[in-house]
Amino acid sequence: MGLFYALMAVGLSMIFGVLRIINFAHGEFFMVGAYSYALIASYFGISPWISLPCAAMVGAGLGMCVERLLIRPLYDGYNSWAFMKDEYAVVVTFALSLLLIHLVDKVIGPSPFVGPSLASTQRIAIGPVMLNGQKLIAAGVSIFLLVGLAIFIKKSLWGRQIQAVAQNRFGSSLAGIDPIKTTTIIFALAGALAALSGALLSPLINPSPDIGSFPAIKSYIIVVIGGLGSIWGSMFAALILGVLESYFAVYISYDYRDAFGLLILILVLIFRPQGLAGQKGRDA
Amino acid sequence: MADTLSLSLKHPNLWRNRLKRDMLCFTLVCLLLCLVPLLQLSDYSLGILIVALYFAMISMSWNLLAGYTGQFSMAPAAFAMLGGYIMGLLDFHFQVSLSWAVPLAIFGTGLLGLFLGTIVIRLKGPYLSLTTLSFAEIARVIIANSHEYTRGDQGLNVPTMFVDRVVYYYVFVAFVFGMGLLIYALMKSRFGGYFLAIRDDPEGAESRGIPVAKYKLWAFTISCCLCGFAGAMYGSFSQLVSPEMGLLQQTGLVISMVVIGGIGSMSGPLIGALLVYLGSEWLRDVGNIQMIVFALIVIIFARFFRTGLWGLTQLLILKLTQHKSK
Amino acid sequence: MGLIGPNGSGKTTVLNMLSGILTLDSGSVLLNDREISHLKPSALARLGVMRMFQMTRVFARVSAFDNLIIAGQALGLSFQKSVTKADQLIVELSLEPVKFLDAGQLSGGQKKLLEFGMCFMKSPKLALLDEPFAAVHPQMRETMANFIKARHQEGHSFLLVSHDMPIVQALCQTCVCMNTGKVIASGLTKQVLSNPQVVEAYLGGEHV
Repeated sequence: MGLFYALMAVGLSMIFGVLRIINFAHGEFFMVGAYSYALIASYFGISPWISLPCAAMVGAGLGMCVERLLIRPLYDGYNSWAFMKDEYAVVVTFALSLLLIHLVDKVIGPSPFVGPSLASTQRIAIGPVMLNGQKLIAAGVSIFLLVGLAIFIKKSLWGRQIQAVAQNRFGSSLAGIDPIKTTTIIFALAGALAALSGALLSPLINPSPDIGSFPAIKSYIIVVIGGLGSIWGSMFAALILGVLESYFAVYISYDYRDAFGLLILILVLIFRPQGLAGQKGRDA
Repeated sequence: MADTLSLSLKHPNLWRNRLKRDMLCFTLVCLLLCLVPLLQLSDYSLGILIVALYFAMISMSWNLLAGYTGQFSMAPAAFAMLGGYIMGLLDFHFQVSLSWAVPLAIFGTGLLGLFLGTIVIRLKGPYLSLTTLSFAEIARVIIANSHEYTRGDQGLNVPTMFVDRVVYYYVFVAFVFGMGLLIYALMKSRFGGYFLAIRDDPEGAESRGIPVAKYKLWAFTISCCLCGFAGAMYGSFSQLVSPEMGLLQQTGLVISMVVIGGIGSMSGPLIGALLVYLGSEWLRDVGNIQMIVFALIVIIFARFFRTGLWGLTQLLILKLTQHKSK
Repeated sequence: MGLIGPNGSGKTTVLNMLSGILTLDSGSVLLNDREISHLKPSALARLGVMRMFQMTRVFARVSAFDNLIIAGQALGLSFQKSVTKADQLIVELSLEPVKFLDAGQLSGGQKKLLEFGMCFMKSPKLALLDEPFAAVHPQMRETMANFIKARHQEGHSFLLVSHDMPIVQALCQTCVCMNTGKVIASGLTKQVLSNPQVVEAYLGGEHV
């Protein structure tokens, strides 16, 4: 499970790393991805393997819209009187998440809406462990994406631009990087990743409008534990969280396992606010 | 010298005077509320108003914390739930009478607020929101799952204080007004200035001699106490406390009310609460689209009208008076 | 007293330590023979050690006048006294036209002057000024310099961090120069400024 969390968390981490805001609507990107995948594959009868990237694009599109409409003003020489930057982001993205949840609920209906599974075999036995085919494929795709993303960030031009803007927004604009475009890219990427994560998982869980909140909370935890702004940190933390949670659920208490994650969040925030691998940016 | 001084003190943008105008408007709304029962409304409608007033109390205390002190906690609904449950549990398990249970509820939520407040003191912006969010969810999950103690999702039954709903209504109006007075007194004093300073620049405030941590804690604890009180009163009115009180969605509702009404003001949360809650009830009858509408309105307001309805009215009055003097 | 040195020499760090924002690894800070290095900035402020920042810090959403009042109350003054003092300072700092604007609406230089005023609501024992003249309009610079001179003559102590040599020469009798975290010269300003090591630190010596 950790892998899926990781996909979502990475996107969130990027947003925070660059803009220092938390996107409360991230969970909804996930949900939209799940729904788009299901819709495209079922209604339009397009093969699941193609529906996946389509869902990702929907996520990217959504991310870009959000960025354009809502996040732009944060750094466009915006003179805030009643809101400070962080708080504005919190309120707006929180409202956005509620909006999206209820919109989908109204338009499509609250009952679960499942998309087709990618694998034809439901159960695969690997050694003594029974695995679900879909899960396996989803896991594989996730790993592939994560590794690809890591390479992308490190090597490609866009990736390095993202790193630059994350470290020093003003400075990088002087160096010729357009921070606005970079931010758009980041949002699009984050949206796509979350949507993809949702799409991959949708055959396994029953998509309903509010499934986004659950992974969202997990990704906040991961992002904080891993260190905001650090991709490796998020991935690492996601795995740890996945493992810890399962352990906790089995040995201590099933009901409270969600609360457990949140407890870890609080503890981490108290004792090590920058997470495992986070960087403290310059305030300038 | 004395002349310029007294002139200075009269200027409309001085904090004192802004607050005074705000309080005047607030009192006006409360007076109008007092007249409402004359309309001979049904018990059901009165009930809706009472719940709106419950939300108004939470909104006002959240505004104290977020609008005046800059701490955007995601836990107000959770603290209201906790307040309700403390009272409910005391009654359910120990048969404590309400006159004891309510103050104990306030005290209890105050302690919890102190505890959470100490944790979040060092945290800024989104970290604070995340931590309070986690706390709120943990609290709700614990209460919902502790079946032996709290009856879980079924909620606890709570005795009621007054039989007549009209009496309840006036009691709630009185409490709202009382809370307003409390917040007004607080914000008028030197502590109000400290809160505002902390909101606008915590490090700067520290360097000017304001012990930021101490006052952040005060704001946090007071706000939690007020939320707990509201929760207890609501519980007594609806005769039921359930984990639903502490859902994040409720906090979302509170935030919408304050944002729409006008964050950083006194009348704002009250007006926002009334409008949003009454609006949501009306929209619920129309087609269950209330959350969509309100979420949209909140986004629009946050994006374009950051000062909320209160801010807009201020601007309007300003424009009108400017026209007049021409 | 002036504190000069090239960028990165540690000047702001020293100020941070003196104003309680950073904790010391070793050594101590004494105010009138009293150890103060463990105190928080707010306690230090009330003891009379005031810090002005390089990045202007004002309370943006209340009026400029309110900023001063709050600062005064934080230092222990009553409302009435704060108002009177604030009035005086506004006049002295030529901030009358913007007295009642929200502090966030002031120009950069005006904000600096306001911050100045906030530090002086109650006469500080020691004022730590971190590059107060940077990016300030020459006229306002003059106002600030006169302000400092007047207060200095009344007996207040200043520690001025600046790159503006003429101002340091004009205002500071003694001066300390730092480079890479160490003090490399101290004494009368004229002597320090003509010290070859100081010149080298600024201009880079043979590495130019």
